[in-house]
Amino acid sequence: MARMKFYCDAERCIECNACVTACKNEHEIPWGVNRRRVVTIKDGEPGERSLSVACMHCSDAPCAAVCPVDCFYTTGDGIVLHDKDICIGCGYCFYACPFGAPQFPEAAAFSSRGKMDKCTFCAGGPEEDQSSDEYKKYGRNRISEGKLPLCAEMCSTKALLAGDGDVLSDIYRKRVINRGASAFEWGVNNSKIPG
Amino acid sequence: MRVHTLLMMVCLLLVGFQLQAADPPSKPPELSSIAPGAELWRDVRQRDQDVTGTTQVRSPGADVLINVSGQAWREYRMQELIPLSGAAIAIVLFVILLFRLVRGRIMLENGRSGLRILRFTTNQRVAHWATAILFSILGLTGLTLLLGRSFLIPVFGAEGFGTIAAGAKFLHDYLGPVFVFALTWLFVLFVRDNIPSPKVDLQWLLKGGGLFGKHAHAPRYNAGEKLWFWLASIVGLAVIISGLVLDFPIFGQTRSTMEFYHWVHSIAAIVLIVVSFGHIYMGTAALEATFEVMQTGYCDSNWAKEHHDLWYDEVKDSEEPVPQQQAQPDPGARQSTDSA
Repeated sequence: MARMKFYCDAERCIECNACVTACKNEHEIPWGVNRRRVVTIKDGEPGERSLSVACMHCSDAPCAAVCPVDCFYTTGDGIVLHDKDICIGCGYCFYACPFGAPQFPEAAAFSSRGKMDKCTFCAGGPEEDQSSDEYKKYGRNRISEGKLPLCAEMCSTKALLAGDGDVLSDIYRKRVINRGASAFEWGVNNSKIPG
Repeated sequence: MRVHTLLMMVCLLLVGFQLQAADPPSKPPELSSIAPGAELWRDVRQRDQDVTGTTQVRSPGADVLINVSGQAWREYRMQELIPLSGAAIAIVLFVILLFRLVRGRIMLENGRSGLRILRFTTNQRVAHWATAILFSILGLTGLTLLLGRSFLIPVFGAEGFGTIAAGAKFLHDYLGPVFVFALTWLFVLFVRDNIPSPKVDLQWLLKGGGLFGKHAHAPRYNAGEKLWFWLASIVGLAVIISGLVLDFPIFGQTRSTMEFYHWVHSIAAIVLIVVSFGHIYMGTAALEATFEVMQTGYCDSNWAKEHHDLWYDEVKDSEEPVPQQQAQPDPGARQSTDSA
């Protein structure tokens, strides 16, 4: 079975925020909640790089470890999902997550946050696949339609990749080999370098 | 000898050939970086503080690419807080049980006198019970959120516990601010007689408070009660301040702020909870004629002589006979098991 991963290639991301927009539109995400965001480091300076960040669907997910009600689960494809019917909105997953992925619709007095929302890798939630309940709570379930996450599918520079980890590794390895290579170096075949 | 030299020469020759073969024929000019992306990730990951950038998303911490404090907080909560607080509670309950088995229920040496003295005003008792009830609810709901995943999910299932935990969080978040008023009220009413009197208090402590033998001299409140009062006030203040920061995430608190106050709140609250077990046991089932004092406000004269002799000397003029219809059985006598 595939092990689903995101990879964002910092050499290709142009900070267009199209992934953020596509995600918000595809899942009808409310104002103030951002399942995906683009962070630019050294903005306007030499060495500027942008990365698109969302839930990275960790193997040993910190959110799932600290959740006081154990509402997280990992699918057979390695996608980390959660059950909004169990979530109590305590915010602990947000404290533990390295990527700032968990989002809350409110930030009100008496610790009222509402149910946590995060990137589902376009795989919905525990409700029946493609049901209206699932769409309301978790957004569209593209995985059940045989499609990959929309953010990566429509990335114009193919900086953001989503899919089977082995396939992504192969794609990225080829990119690195080509980038690191000089046409004059031993073992590099000029004809194989894409123009 | 000659064979040896020959072997060495052959070896040197071979090594020489090897070196020549490994040497690349022509090195291209130095590349600025083989993989610039790797440098970026190294910068991002190998810091002990958050790397921030710019982003279009407007929410606290959105500009932080990798939150480095989360892992430390996870380790604290999962590997220290949960197992150690569970162990602390179990140890304290075990010690109380052991004390019960060794000392049994401690009775009045001279029985009841039939005389009573006013010890707590109605105002003091209401303040005590308001604080006590709020403390119990906050403690139980807090422990539900802390330890429920380990102990309650196996009983109620994930869905059932989700409902219980949502209720616990609601009570905890809305009653917490009320506790601020209750504890302040309690502090104002009780602080006067809890000012330490070093000589008497030290002697009381050196005698172990009479726990294991003869009664020690004590004024209105003994050193143990004073320690509990000041612990509840000072550690309680830490619980209150940290709790308010956690309960009102509307001032743009960052994750590391929330993690720090959660750390303060959890440690302080566990300290109060385990010490409160001692207070609850001593106030209910441990000693004859004790629970009724906070219940009715009056204590038996013999109880005052034995447990607070210095205070008794001050107030013995106000002794009055126990009204017949109000004479009631010792409520502690009905509780055969430790209510702590």
